[in-house]
Amino acid sequence: MSTTNETNETNETNETSTRNATSGTVRVAAGALAALLLLAGCSSKAKDDDGNDKGGTAAGEVKTGEGISGKTITLGALTDMTGVYATLGKSVTQAQQLYVKQLNADGGVCGYKVALSVRDHGYDPQKAVSGYTELAPKVLGFVQFIGSPFVAAVEKRIDGQDKALVLPQAWSSALLGSSYIRVIGSTYDIETINAVDFLMKEKGLKKGDKLGHVYFEGDYGESALLGSKHIAKEAGLTVVEQKIKPTDNDMTAQVAALKKAGVKAVVISAGPRQAASLVGVAAAGGFDVPIIGNNSAFAPQLLATQAGPALLKNYYVASPSLPIGADTPGAQKLVADYKKAYPKDSLDNGVVAGWTAASAFGEALKKACETKDLTREGVDKALLTIDALDTGFGTPQNFTDPKAASSKQSVILRPDKTVTGGMKVVQEADASDTATQYTPGA
Amino acid sequence: MSEALAGPLRFATRTRTYVWAAGALLLLALPFYLDRFWLQAGLFAMAAAIGAIGINLLTGSTGQLSMGHAFFLAVGAYGYCVFAADGGDAGDGLTGLGLPTWLAAVLAVLVAGLAGGVFSPIAGRLRGAYLGIATLALIFIGQHVLFNARDLTGGFNGRDVPPLSLFGLTFDDRELLVANVPFGSAEKLWYAGLVLLLGCGLFARGVLRGRPGRAMNAIRDHRIAAGVIGVPVARYRAAVFVLSSMYAGLAGVLLALVFQRTVPDYFGITLSLEYLAMIVIGGLGSVSGAVIGAVFVSVLPQLLTRYSDALPLVSAPGTGGIAPGEASRYLYGAAVVAVVLFLPGGLVRVAAGRRFRTDPGEKR
Repeated sequence: MSTTNETNETNETNETSTRNATSGTVRVAAGALAALLLLAGCSSKAKDDDGNDKGGTAAGEVKTGEGISGKTITLGALTDMTGVYATLGKSVTQAQQLYVKQLNADGGVCGYKVALSVRDHGYDPQKAVSGYTELAPKVLGFVQFIGSPFVAAVEKRIDGQDKALVLPQAWSSALLGSSYIRVIGSTYDIETINAVDFLMKEKGLKKGDKLGHVYFEGDYGESALLGSKHIAKEAGLTVVEQKIKPTDNDMTAQVAALKKAGVKAVVISAGPRQAASLVGVAAAGGFDVPIIGNNSAFAPQLLATQAGPALLKNYYVASPSLPIGADTPGAQKLVADYKKAYPKDSLDNGVVAGWTAASAFGEALKKACETKDLTREGVDKALLTIDALDTGFGTPQNFTDPKAASSKQSVILRPDKTVTGGMKVVQEADASDTATQYTPGA
Repeated sequence: MSEALAGPLRFATRTRTYVWAAGALLLLALPFYLDRFWLQAGLFAMAAAIGAIGINLLTGSTGQLSMGHAFFLAVGAYGYCVFAADGGDAGDGLTGLGLPTWLAAVLAVLVAGLAGGVFSPIAGRLRGAYLGIATLALIFIGQHVLFNARDLTGGFNGRDVPPLSLFGLTFDDRELLVANVPFGSAEKLWYAGLVLLLGCGLFARGVLRGRPGRAMNAIRDHRIAAGVIGVPVARYRAAVFVLSSMYAGLAGVLLALVFQRTVPDYFGITLSLEYLAMIVIGGLGSVSGAVIGAVFVSVLPQLLTRYSDALPLVSAPGTGGIAPGEASRYLYGAAVVAVVLFLPGGLVRVAAGRRFRTDPGEKR
């Protein structure tokens, strides 16, 4: 009771003093506004009349802009080391750090050292967008940006204002078409087309057959589905769709449904766990059809599980590049260097993806250095001149057309216990006719 | 007694006026100085504060637990996009009604309220934790719809948010020079956010201090007693649920405007839990508590990520120690636990304690 009394009394006295306070508030507010306008004049954000032309442009000197201060070029990396793509993010980031280290040891670019500014967004949209906002004014470009929804979220700002080169580690066809966001390697739809093409050429899948497609809800699975639907239309197949969530780990229901539908082959665009379950359950049930996955649907650790023998027998993987254990000098050097730098961590395709992206950016920087223009515009132009970047993983990358993915080729692999990375090549890098003629989004 | 109190109270009121004026001045001046990162963090906090005020009315003041707050945020955010976007070939091929954006924002809030109203027969009957379980269903339904109703939501990649346009001023990234400072979307939205937050805060305060607020607290503290003294318990519960959904809807609209794109991943169960964390950390049942909690919960992770390199015990990724991202999560968790352990009344108690000390009229 006593509390209520006090509150009432307080209200009364407040009322008597309200009138005084109101006139006081008006005065304070007026003064505040005046002060505000005065203060704004000396803000560091204010535009100076001659402050826009940053950097040295004197004859013979390298033109620089955002992202370069002193003798350091800063590149951004928006990664995911604590969220759903944690394994991919870690490998990509470490490979890129390795590349930067080696680049600096070789003298850097134009005498500038390169530094990576890494932000871990944990696959959280708010952190991803705020990470981009923080880094965008400070970096020359982004060597890594995981999560196609987040890239799409800032796409307008990249194209409209920032105009910095962004190399996303997301192979969704929805990202194609921007001059600044450049997807490296084939997108999932192209990869799936090549995968189905392999099934038709080598595994007896023919016109009129049914093709099962198990895919993740979200950018990865649904991009892949675009591809399988496209080639199905071209080649006269019927796609039996099975949409799953990343949290679904048991594929028994999917296998039963596909078996009932009478499919002759299965494509899986999901994670390694789902692939193992699908292949294992299918083998146990005597459902003997070839199964092919996208490059994210395999991890070498799977071979040690109970699904191992079935995987060795019936499972194939389509990949945008040769596996990490490839028999090329470039790949072998990377494996050796990576093992030395990160002895505890496993080698997977994330390492290849990160290395390839960093190399592409590095090559663009070197070309930009030759033309003495290390501004964002200069780097962007330089990347457009690279038409056959080969990092030692079998697929040359062509960056001259911003509308297309940098490669339409895929390598078909199959699990093998004896090789580093657990996979060996079945079919060398090639682009099927359907993939060559395919225009994403059409 | 009031004679004796008048002097010190007037002094206290004046001090408080100056503090408020200084705070307001600071908030108004910030866009002229801060980077876009900070403004954006502030805007996220403002949107979160509006949503948190809403859930605090429901959970803090009426004692009804809701896990479905993220669903109503999504209704607001996507509702705004659907109402405001140009439909057909002019846009991105998604459904859009092309209404004026201010009208779209109002309608989005109303639709969120309507969604709450549809759920209110359930919200009126269930109490406490049972309502929490029931609202959990909303999250899963919401996520399923967001991912699959392609024409409406754009699926996994989300859809673009048309910039708000009010009295001829468009809140987009076209530069507007104010006192020689270039104003982009963040700077412009900052003021819109402040106005909305102020309006929402005052309205909620009005509700809490008036008859409805007493009734809500009575329901929370003793449902049967409240019914006996004539509070229509079920009707109040349903009404508060609708009001809290409308707050969530408005928060969703503001969030969408800040993000410039709505993404389905965002509106998951984690977001609902974050809102609950906000009001527990800030202080249950008060507007200022909700605001303080919202600022704490939404800004801290962003700060920790930004300064992750400089945190103690952190090593570069891959060298075997704690990665910066992990460290920032640990610290965030530790901060939440510390607040709940040592400030059981929430962060708002810290501010309240100081006020009691400087205000001699409140001696007990």
